[in-house]
Amino acid sequence: MAERNQVQPDLEFVKGVMEAGGDTVNRCYQCATCSIVCPLSTDESPFPRKEMLWAQWGLGSKVSGDADVWLCHNCGDCTKYCPRDARPGDVLSAIRINAIRHYAQPKALANIMNSAGGVIGTVITSMFAVLVVAFLWSLYSKEAFPIPEGTVVYHKFLTVVPIDALFLSIAAFVIYVSMKGVIQFWSDISKGAGLPVSFTGKAPTPAIGPFLIKYVWPATKEILTHERFKKCGEVAERSTGHLWVLWSFIILFIVTIIVMIQADVLGILFPDAGFETPLVQYHPVKIAANIGAIMLIVGIWMLRNMRIRKTAEGTITSSTQDWILIWLIFAVGVSGLAAEIIRLADVAYLAYPVYVLHLGCVATLFLSLPYTKFAHLLYRGTAYVHERWARDVKAGKAGFGLEKMVTAWQYEGKDIH
Amino acid sequence: MSESILVVGGGFSGLTAAVEAAEMGYDVYIIEKESYMGGRVAQLNKYFPKLCPPSCGLEINYKRIKTSPKITFYSLAEVESVSGGPGDFNVKVKVNPRYTTPQCNNCGPGAEAVTTEMPNEFNFGMNMRKPLYMPTMMAFPNQCVLDPAAVSSGDGQRIKDAMPDGYVDLDQKAEIIDLNVGAIIMATGWNPYDATKMDKLCFGKYENIVTNMMVERMASPSGPTEGKILRPSDKEEPKTVGFVQCAGSRDKDHLKYCSYICCMATLKQACYLREQSEDVDIYIFYIDIRSPGLKYERFYKKVKEDKKVHFIKGKVAEVKEGSSPGSVVLIAEDTIGGGKVEQEVDLAVLATGMQPAGATEKIPGIEYNSDGFVVSKEGIIPCGCAKRPIDVVSSAQSATAAALKAVQTLVRRAG
Repeated sequence: MAERNQVQPDLEFVKGVMEAGGDTVNRCYQCATCSIVCPLSTDESPFPRKEMLWAQWGLGSKVSGDADVWLCHNCGDCTKYCPRDARPGDVLSAIRINAIRHYAQPKALANIMNSAGGVIGTVITSMFAVLVVAFLWSLYSKEAFPIPEGTVVYHKFLTVVPIDALFLSIAAFVIYVSMKGVIQFWSDISKGAGLPVSFTGKAPTPAIGPFLIKYVWPATKEILTHERFKKCGEVAERSTGHLWVLWSFIILFIVTIIVMIQADVLGILFPDAGFETPLVQYHPVKIAANIGAIMLIVGIWMLRNMRIRKTAEGTITSSTQDWILIWLIFAVGVSGLAAEIIRLADVAYLAYPVYVLHLGCVATLFLSLPYTKFAHLLYRGTAYVHERWARDVKAGKAGFGLEKMVTAWQYEGKDIH
Repeated sequence: MSESILVVGGGFSGLTAAVEAAEMGYDVYIIEKESYMGGRVAQLNKYFPKLCPPSCGLEINYKRIKTSPKITFYSLAEVESVSGGPGDFNVKVKVNPRYTTPQCNNCGPGAEAVTTEMPNEFNFGMNMRKPLYMPTMMAFPNQCVLDPAAVSSGDGQRIKDAMPDGYVDLDQKAEIIDLNVGAIIMATGWNPYDATKMDKLCFGKYENIVTNMMVERMASPSGPTEGKILRPSDKEEPKTVGFVQCAGSRDKDHLKYCSYICCMATLKQACYLREQSEDVDIYIFYIDIRSPGLKYERFYKKVKEDKKVHFIKGKVAEVKEGSSPGSVVLIAEDTIGGGKVEQEVDLAVLATGMQPAGATEKIPGIEYNSDGFVVSKEGIIPCGCAKRPIDVVSSAQSATAAALKAVQTLVRRAG
């Protein structure tokens, strides 16, 4: 008798995709024009045609095991040429939003972070948390609360140490949740890619050294240069804004780490070294920080403009999740720059509230990482690495710590020697 | 009140409707835009699925029209406007000059008198014709046509001088005829969809990409290649041929509907090619093969059994130049086998769809829908491809039905 496969549609998944802007999916009639016009689609595993079918059939598990949705940068070429107006680009965006929610734990936080009200609420809550920490800190530092006296210097209000106490705990939580999501994702896409398993049913795991050198590093290089993103047809110009935002994050991350090390480590170990915030404006770290801030604001503004224009043209559709991330990053950039300018202008009653707002926005952005569209950096990055890894495993060049993989099925009935 | 019926279009549907109405005893006018009757069917090599030539069916209809005292037909004629209502339509018809007289049915001397050549529209420009020409090999009416462009140049006079006295008449003028009819049958048919509109399919960019209607003309013994399907670039028989289905059909940016006949036409043309050459490989790229009904499905099955005909489920979305001279590469996703397919072929055939004539030329007084199909109303009855995209046999059936409807319009009014 022929093998029978009964399709078990995951209706919740279909509903989620439709609600996130993929409601055009049911128009698809599988002509596969999209897979060909896509400048990023690969020869062996073209997308997004197969994803359209899976989404129609409610094959949620197939989609979650599919790394290809993360190789799409949503340029909209497929949507432009789709003969049925099924808008594959939008459907893939919606699938990604759902995938992020699928891997995010706890779900309640994911729900909060995916609504505009929830994000604003989180900003306010974070600001409140900052105020509480600042109040407790004022008891220790004996500075006036909430507006310290004298010229505006933020470390009178909060020094680096209590800020780090707050942010490092958020960071630890975010890293934990992110790692959990990424590991689950890695396991799902390994299954989805049909990677061979060992005798004991274990999926191949990479050894750390070669893994970093052969897979993570080339993928990182590709991300840092936006090599692939630049190939995206209809909205190629978007990659510029995105590149600015990415690099500004990297710059800001580095300067933050430098300041943290100087204040938390060196400042405590060598209190007499004369390390002090705020840094003077001509300090190289300060210059880098200012450049980063401006790049962040300009970059995100470019992305915003592109999104408004392309949405008006009908090339892409923009969901709440798209706007949440754009406005949150914008708020972080603008509040940060404003806090600095107002500090320099020495307007105390404005400076401290804006500073609190800035910290609230930053905390929210941090916290949102595994839950919102921001998580694309986790999953797309992972997909970039996995793509390379899976290719080598399939080619028998990697996996199981062997030069050439040996699997039961491969040598079935054959003399291994 | 009028007791006569107007049939707009002298293709297979129009001829059928006219003959049926006349046989019910009504006076019929046929208005045909071209210089010959038969329309698109006259361009076909063979019908599917029987693979017989359409000439016999056309010839029978021509004969019935010629011998029927009830039918008046005009070629090179266009309906300028329609006014009035059921039972009493006023129709303005413009009859363009042919510049020849009915006895002129041998263009030889006139054609030889000049060197000017112009693209032959009947063969989609694949060969040239002289200014004085017989529109098709078995044209009805069997009368030569002189190209209006030649009339204004010196060629007209040279041709006139070369032809027997009274055969060519350069002084003919367009005439306006006013007809009063009780019902109008719209049989305005279709045009092949303009293949240059699909930018990704590169028609017009690469020479060896042709349309399915061009293949019909090539396959026809009276066509530009005398029945051989050849590559336009080097006039060689192709060893590999790719068919691109749904070229423009089922596409929101082109023809929103399925053109109904292209799948069957492709299967038929695969048969032409297999008959022409034992070792030709045929690649058919499709979304779905639509072979409605028992006979068509059987035909599809038969073609599928041929190991040299390969079916790839996936629409061609990109075309590029091939590695050998003149060949092209068709790119699609094989949605069954998986992965992208890049198939290099000597000749690519775009299975372009049918666009109703109403999409490009509208007659004032007739209502069309957004695709250009005629909207049916009391006294105005569309049939054939003016109504919806259909095959020849269904066109004939819809024409018979339209004739009956037209008669009903008259009888109801009279009663």
